[in-house]
Amino acid sequence: MQHLSVKHLLGIKDLTREDINLILDTAGNFKEVINRPIKKVPSLRDITIANIFFENSTRTRLSFELAEKRLSADVINFSSSSSSVKKGETLLDTVNNILAMKVDMIVMRHSSVGSPHYLSKHIKAKIVNAGDGTHEHPTQALLDAFTIKEKFGHVEGKKVCIFGDILHSRVALSNIFALQKLGAEVMVCGPITLLPKYIKDLNVKVELDLKKALEWCDVANVLRIQLERQTIKYFPSLREYSLYYGINKSLLDSLNKEIMIMHPGPINRGVELSSDVADSHHSVILNQVENGVAVRMAVLYLLAGATE
Amino acid sequence: MKILLKSAEIIDKNSPYHFQKKNIIIVDGKIEKIGDFDETADIVLESPDLKVSPGWFDLRASIKDPGSEHKEDIHSATKAAASGGFTGMVCMPNTKPVLQTKDLVEYISNRSANKITSVYPVAAVTIDNKGEEITEMIDLHKAGAIAFSDGNKPIWHSDVLLKTLQYLQSFDGLLLVHAEDKYVSMYGQMNEGLTSTLLGLKGLPKLAEEIIVERDLRILRYTGGKIHFSHVSSPRSFELIKEAKAEGLNVTCDITAYNLALDDTLLASFDTNLKVNPPLRSKEDVDAFWSYLKNGIIDAIVSDHNPQDEESKNLEFDLAEFGMIGLESVFSIVNTIKRDIPLETLLDKIAYAPRRILGISQPVIKEGELAEITIFDSEREWEFTKDDIKSKSKNTPFVGWKFKGKPLAVINKGMYFINN
Repeated sequence: MQHLSVKHLLGIKDLTREDINLILDTAGNFKEVINRPIKKVPSLRDITIANIFFENSTRTRLSFELAEKRLSADVINFSSSSSSVKKGETLLDTVNNILAMKVDMIVMRHSSVGSPHYLSKHIKAKIVNAGDGTHEHPTQALLDAFTIKEKFGHVEGKKVCIFGDILHSRVALSNIFALQKLGAEVMVCGPITLLPKYIKDLNVKVELDLKKALEWCDVANVLRIQLERQTIKYFPSLREYSLYYGINKSLLDSLNKEIMIMHPGPINRGVELSSDVADSHHSVILNQVENGVAVRMAVLYLLAGATE
Repeated sequence: MKILLKSAEIIDKNSPYHFQKKNIIIVDGKIEKIGDFDETADIVLESPDLKVSPGWFDLRASIKDPGSEHKEDIHSATKAAASGGFTGMVCMPNTKPVLQTKDLVEYISNRSANKITSVYPVAAVTIDNKGEEITEMIDLHKAGAIAFSDGNKPIWHSDVLLKTLQYLQSFDGLLLVHAEDKYVSMYGQMNEGLTSTLLGLKGLPKLAEEIIVERDLRILRYTGGKIHFSHVSSPRSFELIKEAKAEGLNVTCDITAYNLALDDTLLASFDTNLKVNPPLRSKEDVDAFWSYLKNGIIDAIVSDHNPQDEESKNLEFDLAEFGMIGLESVFSIVNTIKRDIPLETLLDKIAYAPRRILGISQPVIKEGELAEITIFDSEREWEFTKDDIKSKSKNTPFVGWKFKGKPLAVINKGMYFINN
């Protein structure tokens, strides 16, 4: 069995190109498995995984849980919408309590940047980052890369533009790292207040004009406008956002080429994407969701096999 | 008690023995004899590169007493200071309650009276550091406040700042400024730059500091008076201060030892001991800081001692408090990495300049004087460990560092403290 170079999946930043390819190849095998009549394999039998979610999540948590069950792992779930600190218990205490029940792996989503990195220094269990604040969401980037590769056969040389709130997006950052490691060209497009000032230093192209960005790219990865994560106003209104940064069918029809539309979900229909785009043949949004399970199976399987 | 400093190089530009290697006898806190004699004493201090200078002085430290005595109190803070070679220090007003009344100023003075390190209280400029109504500054001054500051806040309101600078002139008072436009830096966790972008952490842009430095200098030009900018951390701010100095404005500034030693790429570890405000800046900025130190724009180096207990630091990064302790390590940090800065210049930044800025008389090393001295070995190599920390809090990223140069002892107010 081939191994990843890391013990935890904390972020794409820590992975090598080989690691990413190994995950994508393994995910390919698992995708074939989950399309069989008998979708379950015994790979993680006797492994107990805790899904700890300190932020609301539907699809990521379900996707992880399904991936774990397809691998025959034992699964427990913990979710709390508020930070554990507010309840008087520290993150470390919460996790140590769960680990005391003999848990082997932790899948964690948390609103604090670096929280899985922090945990990794204090606990022995393997950790999968299911999103840490505005930092990384590595399995999302892996499933996005898988979906691009599935469609085009390769990621290298593809032009991918990420649209929307780049400043607050862990999906954007993980995608930038993954796509660049795989040799794609990356652009970001959105209102300038939602683009990090130093984003160009990551060798990312910046475009403020939606139409020009769409004309440039092969793949448009459209992010959800995260109003809930914005305590400061970055743009005047959803109306203005949808008028100047929303992608609709007439805009896509005006391009003299076909582009692929991705979205990590959940979609704000009529804001960043119109329904006639989200539901069109351009969209691979539901393929992403399907691939998510296979990619997460691959990650869990490979990490479980990693030695100390 | 008779103490002998054996073959110690005296580094004190105000002393007739400047740069001379002498034996020094101190009896009951008084410098009795300096010369080449042969004599014994109750305590003999010797080391291969033994040096003695006027006692060091820290121009920015938070003591947390009253309010958060579990993090630090006057006793532990002065012990940490003595261990770091300081015979004098200020304490910032960001206590709970805020240091803004005569009785609190006297509390600090009384509590520290029998401590080896003298503590000079800095009182609040505005009530509760809110930036709205000014405190009774004349009365606070009379009670012993050495300077005025709103701690880790700028003076929000331009007109309040204007009135403050005018009012302080009635007794030639000094304003210590923390320059940060908190709207621009709101929710910031670390320096804004490539590293913050890679980490997805909200930035504390240098712009937030520069805006306030520029505004405050404009107001100072209008009102007269004097400002000291504390823990400055942007090359552009130093440039503005340089221009103001050239113009003749009464302005001085300092930098933290940590800003001279560490850069923001270290934050990739998410070590909360590196979460400080002002934040660690970029490598290029650190290079620039050294050049401003060399050309004298930076007047002083400070610890910015900010004790935080385990419960405030062993947390997710954004939930952790800002600050690191520094009293024990300022000299060793800077002496270890001092680039091409001579020791004498370094001592000016941590001994003479702080007193000059505050208007405190300089202790002098000569016979007959009451000793206020720091004894150190500028070349000794040692590892900084948790056991070297005398503060109640242990929040420093320097544990494990191999330092060059160590404070060995201080003598002040008839008392002595010797590091083991």
